[in-house]
Amino acid sequence: MAHDHAHNAPPSETAMRVKALETLLTEKGLLDPAAIDALVETYETKIGPRNGAKVVARAWTDPDYKARLLEDGSAAIAELGFSGVQGEDMIVVENTDEVHNMVVCTLCSCYPWPTLGLPPIWFKSAPYRARSVIDPRGVLAEFGVELSDDVEIRVWDSNAELRYLVLPQRPAGTDELSEDELAALVTRDSMIGTALAEAPAG
Amino acid sequence: MPTLTPDMVPGLVAGGASCRMDVDVAPKFKVGDAVTARDINPLSHTRLPRYIRGRTGRIARDHGVFAFPDTSAASGTHSDPQHVYSVRFEGSELWGDHANANACVYIDLFDNYLELA
Repeated sequence: MAHDHAHNAPPSETAMRVKALETLLTEKGLLDPAAIDALVETYETKIGPRNGAKVVARAWTDPDYKARLLEDGSAAIAELGFSGVQGEDMIVVENTDEVHNMVVCTLCSCYPWPTLGLPPIWFKSAPYRARSVIDPRGVLAEFGVELSDDVEIRVWDSNAELRYLVLPQRPAGTDELSEDELAALVTRDSMIGTALAEAPAG
Repeated sequence: MPTLTPDMVPGLVAGGASCRMDVDVAPKFKVGDAVTARDINPLSHTRLPRYIRGRTGRIARDHGVFAFPDTSAASGTHSDPQHVYSVRFEGSELWGDHANANACVYIDLFDNYLELA
């Protein structure tokens, strides 16, 4: 035998449940299945963490924008054209030399979709959700982030209706970079708070 | 209820559906208040995680008025509007001797979950 798995294995329980729900919604006249395709395509190709990176780069280069962003996250993010589902009420928290912020949803997987897209699998996993609140330093270390005990760690549990975006610190040696070049240093994880913004090349 | 069609998707995605409610409800607490999360244990929907129940923190920010999910989940509509606060809990309050050094949790809690400490 060339390989040992059956190509006609039944679909997973999750896939079957999703199919059943979609079929029921369609049969009840609540859903045109093409709308699901449009939603999937939106979050696969149009909405993702590059949006958030533009927000961060703007805040790094425009002090007035940064002030508005920290004062009213939803409005300032909407200035750049990002708003909508799971980003209706945004709070932006700023990392400094004294404070590092990280975000978790201990109850499920709440996440700021307009700026970061859909959450990564690990963000939804029970270990991340359980451990982030009790051992944030241990979780950060596993992500490769070691912070001195002098730095206060604030864990934001987005259990209710507010959604959180971390404003990472601007890396050193980036004074000459353009806003677009700065945005390229802003990773998804740095806006969740499980990473720092990347150092510039060279 | 109308059928969800592809042409409706961009508007829905961009518009969202905030749970904020434009009604005048007096806050029960103010920034700086020490508050204890009630030890409630509903079998139905709640946004008060178990690790917070019975613990004492301090109100850091008043987010304004939102629908109360515990009620909305049952009624199917935004209902029971009340203030939501960002409440800061020190690591030692939540985890005792097992807390990380210099770490805390901020969590958003509704009026109904809280009482003055």
